[in-house]
Amino acid sequence: MTDNKNKNSLPEPSISIEASDRAGASIDVSIKPKKLKKQQRKKALNFISLANIVAISAIFAGGFVYVTLLPHETKADDENRYLTKFPEFSAKSYASGEFTEGVADYFDDTVHDRAHIKEFISDYIMQLKGRKYGADGEEAELFGSGFEKKAAVITTAPVTTAASVSTSVTTAVPEATTAPAEEAPADGELTNNILIVNKRGVTLYSGAWGAEQEYASYVSLYKEKLPDVNVYSMVLPTSSSFYLPEKYQNLAYSEKEDFDRLDAALHNVIPIDAYSILDAHKDEAIYSRTDHHWQPLGAYYAAQQFALTAGVPYPELSEYETVTLPGYVGTLYMYTQSATLMNNPEDFVYYKPKTPVTVTQYNTRFENPVAANLLLDPSYMANSGYYMVFGADERIVHVNTECKNGRTLVIFKDSYGNALLPMLTGSFENIYLCDIRYFDLNAVDFINRVGATDLLFAMCSFSAVGGNRNCIYNNLTK
Amino acid sequence: MVFSRLFFIYIFLPVCLLCYALARGTKAKNLVLIVFSLIFYAWGEPVYIFLMLTTAAVNYGAGLLIGKYQGQRGNTAATVIAVTYDLLMLGVFKYSGFIVENINALFSSSIPVPDIRLPIGISFYTFQTISYIIDCHWEKVKPQKSFGKYLLFLTLFPQLVAGPIVRYSTIEKEINERKIELSDVSYGLNRVALGLGKKVLLANQLSIIADSFLGNISSSTMFGAWYGAIAYGLQIYFDFSGYSDIAIGLGRIFGFHFDENFDHPFICRDITEFWQRWHISLSTFFRDYVLYIPIFGKRRKYGGLFLVWLCTGIWHGASWNFIIWGLYYGIFVFIEMLIGKKRMKKIPVVIRHIYSKLVIIIGFGIFYFEKLGKLGTFFKTAFGFGENGFLAVQDRISVINNMYLLTVAVICCFPVIKLVKQTADKHFVTKAAVSSAAAVAAALLLIVTSIMLVASTANPFLYFRF
Repeated sequence: MTDNKNKNSLPEPSISIEASDRAGASIDVSIKPKKLKKQQRKKALNFISLANIVAISAIFAGGFVYVTLLPHETKADDENRYLTKFPEFSAKSYASGEFTEGVADYFDDTVHDRAHIKEFISDYIMQLKGRKYGADGEEAELFGSGFEKKAAVITTAPVTTAASVSTSVTTAVPEATTAPAEEAPADGELTNNILIVNKRGVTLYSGAWGAEQEYASYVSLYKEKLPDVNVYSMVLPTSSSFYLPEKYQNLAYSEKEDFDRLDAALHNVIPIDAYSILDAHKDEAIYSRTDHHWQPLGAYYAAQQFALTAGVPYPELSEYETVTLPGYVGTLYMYTQSATLMNNPEDFVYYKPKTPVTVTQYNTRFENPVAANLLLDPSYMANSGYYMVFGADERIVHVNTECKNGRTLVIFKDSYGNALLPMLTGSFENIYLCDIRYFDLNAVDFINRVGATDLLFAMCSFSAVGGNRNCIYNNLTK
Repeated sequence: MVFSRLFFIYIFLPVCLLCYALARGTKAKNLVLIVFSLIFYAWGEPVYIFLMLTTAAVNYGAGLLIGKYQGQRGNTAATVIAVTYDLLMLGVFKYSGFIVENINALFSSSIPVPDIRLPIGISFYTFQTISYIIDCHWEKVKPQKSFGKYLLFLTLFPQLVAGPIVRYSTIEKEINERKIELSDVSYGLNRVALGLGKKVLLANQLSIIADSFLGNISSSTMFGAWYGAIAYGLQIYFDFSGYSDIAIGLGRIFGFHFDENFDHPFICRDITEFWQRWHISLSTFFRDYVLYIPIFGKRRKYGGLFLVWLCTGIWHGASWNFIIWGLYYGIFVFIEMLIGKKRMKKIPVVIRHIYSKLVIIIGFGIFYFEKLGKLGTFFKTAFGFGENGFLAVQDRISVINNMYLLTVAVICCFPVIKLVKQTADKHFVTKAAVSSAAAVAAALLLIVTSIMLVASTANPFLYFRF
């Protein structure tokens, strides 16, 4: 076959070149017509181009199938949110561009196996950006640039309300907020700078810069207007105070120093020192490693300090049923997409009071009462956590307990305060839990209306000295 | 619609490419492109599409009149009417709020500030149509008689919303007839992948650094201010040149040859050269249509220069910092003009590089801060009068955390790909090897970029706001 082929094919044209210095030595050089060579080269380059087109087209085709035809995800456990739903069509939504954008958002947001792709990004692609800083087990990653100092102390009464955060892309899970962005203070005051070190995310505290005086004056105003009510202020430290290794401590300001100044500025308001008791228990799991909140155990100790000061009974931890949710990856992962946090989940441990309570939930105008549970059932989200257990902030909750001591407590809080509620069900007969940011009544009228004997302001440092503090004042003017 | 989202890459674009491939003949292909361009624009701007269509109709009509009344008064009248209309629309939709705000501030008046959303791409398609009208007036091009073909020129989706500003003369022939080679399609696809990679893998990541340090400028150290401004400059470059890559690549796939919009601007040795390499389609637009407007009499050389840089600033946004930014560059170009090309060349190259980079970095600082107070803080901090010292631990952590990203970004500012290609093209074997490697690299880049897009919500290109 090969011979036949050779026979049939014409011999390649060649010329013989004889070496001039060596008689008889010659080499044969084959001649290919230039044109033929050019054509063959063009053919080869065209083949490469074709292969290139086929490869990229295959990716487009595969991507098309993946994005459109494979099952769409409906929820993101790691972000505690439902993913974007396909928008409903209406002439109005089309004209505004909402519909078309919604369609694009739907396909972008609900990609099949989204969680694993995100894990791949965290584990491999984001690692290519650089190295962790430092050594000796204290390697750090910084998200954000550090902290922002305020130029001057604001002394005028604020009129703004905290901005609510919404996104057109995400759909919040009922009874849960999608992100801790609600805590984000007004523009230019505090920043959400996060340091990840020792497998823990720490939101860096950036100082009060005089705002603690404002907070103190607002809270004192309540006491002035409610002379017969015991008014307490319990500003809660964040993990920034307890878990920054020494070499990173200059990345954050001292919460303790600001708390001392704040407490000194209170008038007739009773300060609750949560800092010391939390500091004493910092080796226990009182703060979440992957979330910007504390753990319920931290709330237990802080509430204990409050109960002690308020002179009310306080049950031992053993009187609660302990529930452990393993595999918890909280809000700091959502912020940072850090592989360190994703690959080092934690237990979320919470405590259920054994004594029965009656819980009623109202809207932020104290209307539409509905029966509710003290703690939510987190089972419908795999990685449930803080919000899934303690619920959303945009509501007023009334808890009637078996502690018949005639004491009625109103708590004005941020999301940190949610964790206090179950801990105080053995201490007060009635508890009203109100969020300072989502409250549509005059606060004094409300407190009088429910016959409060005690009023507690319980929020983390970021709220007390950040933009949320303005809500405390604004709630007096509604 | 933006390019850097899965919906565009894996739904809109494949469907468009398939329809385009199935269409037979230039007429059918043009129709496919017009339909998809209108869908593309209407996706984000269902209402403003009527504004764009009206602009197209007005300028198409004006073009016909210019052609009809060649050498007569009607020619000038049609030109003036069309250009006035175009500038008026741009003024109303882009600058009315800014103008009223400044009038109110200046005269303590309280004229209600119009709250008009900026139609996407208006700055780009307005300039395209102005160039068409003036070129018709100057008889550089013949007015397009087919409305469909004119509409295709104006609405062609690859360059519709963020440039480059494509002249009619550039694609005039290709609108009527174009031949698409395999090498065009493969080049175009690779260029699209490169652009997406620049945007998603570099610009988006650099934006995190820039926002961290410039966004919190009052807490930044001196190092942080410079570091943030450098990151921001790189971000803008990869963002905008990435968009141009996608536009040029898509154009090539469809058989159009758009001019380059960026030519490695950071390797420039002076500011004049920088602007010959940065956003070339805008610079040449101003050079050709604004620089020699005879409104400054004998001083038109300098007057024109001032006008060009004022316009360059204003074009980028309705805010004072953009005006300052434009004039800032104008001053350096003016100084370089005074020094003269020959004397500039005598200055050691190293010094020229240091000078131009410093000017450019500070320029990006001006570009970033729309609030003048913050811009002042930036200047104070950058020049050592800030309150936070020279260097802090957060600066060191950020640099280490992003060291590979920054290294790759800096390398990508050099014409590495261009040099490799030029060298490889000299021999068939190396050319084939590099072409094969480019195909593999483009495929990988597209996959990695797509993976990254899964984790992010839509991230609009920065130049959308202009």
